[in-house]
Amino acid sequence: MNLSDFEQSGVIVLEPKGKIMGGPDATILHERLHELIEQGKKKFVIDLSRVEWMNSTGLGILISGLTTLRNNNGELKIANVTEKIKSLLIITKLATVFEAYDTVEDAIQSF
Amino acid sequence: MEKPILTENSIRIPSSQEFLVDVDSFLETRLEKMGVEKPTIADIAISVTEIVNNAIVHGNKSVFEKAVTIEVTHHNSDIIIIVADEGDGFDPEKIENPIEDGNLLKEVGRGVFITRALMDEVDIDAKPGRPTRVTLVKHI
Repeated sequence: MNLSDFEQSGVIVLEPKGKIMGGPDATILHERLHELIEQGKKKFVIDLSRVEWMNSTGLGILISGLTTLRNNNGELKIANVTEKIKSLLIITKLATVFEAYDTVEDAIQSF
Repeated sequence: MEKPILTENSIRIPSSQEFLVDVDSFLETRLEKMGVEKPTIADIAISVTEIVNNAIVHGNKSVFEKAVTIEVTHHNSDIIIIVADEGDGFDPEKIENPIEDGNLLKEVGRGVFITRALMDEVDIDAKPGRPTRVTLVKHI
């Protein structure tokens, strides 16, 4: 998995690419997310368009970011959710927890 | 064992999550050869990496020297995957339901639940005091 990020209109957009299955690659996403939160960033969008699939490790990282941000008056939203990930969110009932948008622009505008 | 050991039908890895990518790569190669379609390969890879994660962390307690073995076979229209650890087992009755209200925002505990949803058969042969062996079946 590779990871890039940028800031637009005060919103941090994280762009993981590949598979999120646990191990060192997943740690990169977790650490970058929490590094930015510690820097005081409060608005996040995770663009999932380039994530081929993720397992529960990836879902755990998203939950970790979401709960940490909500405890600090922030918010994490997801965009471009692929069918594979959408089905996992439905299976695990996490579709009721995350705000999901069709595009990154829509997610940014929602803040 | 310092690195994964591959045979045609199996991969044996030390207990470290750094080798999950090797497991995924092995599965993709092996399942493509069997003619399995991409979305099904993804379902199998998600499930197997869940079970291997559990084998590494909960079974073998991340003791590097203890191995996790993954075998893949093809029988008629079934893909059969067996994941075996060298740990001390656990009580499967103690696995919590991750979609209960109190568990929904927990960061961990969804692996077996997701695996049961994606695979056609999941058999967890586990008891405290002996290694765990999980058999996964996907009809193709």
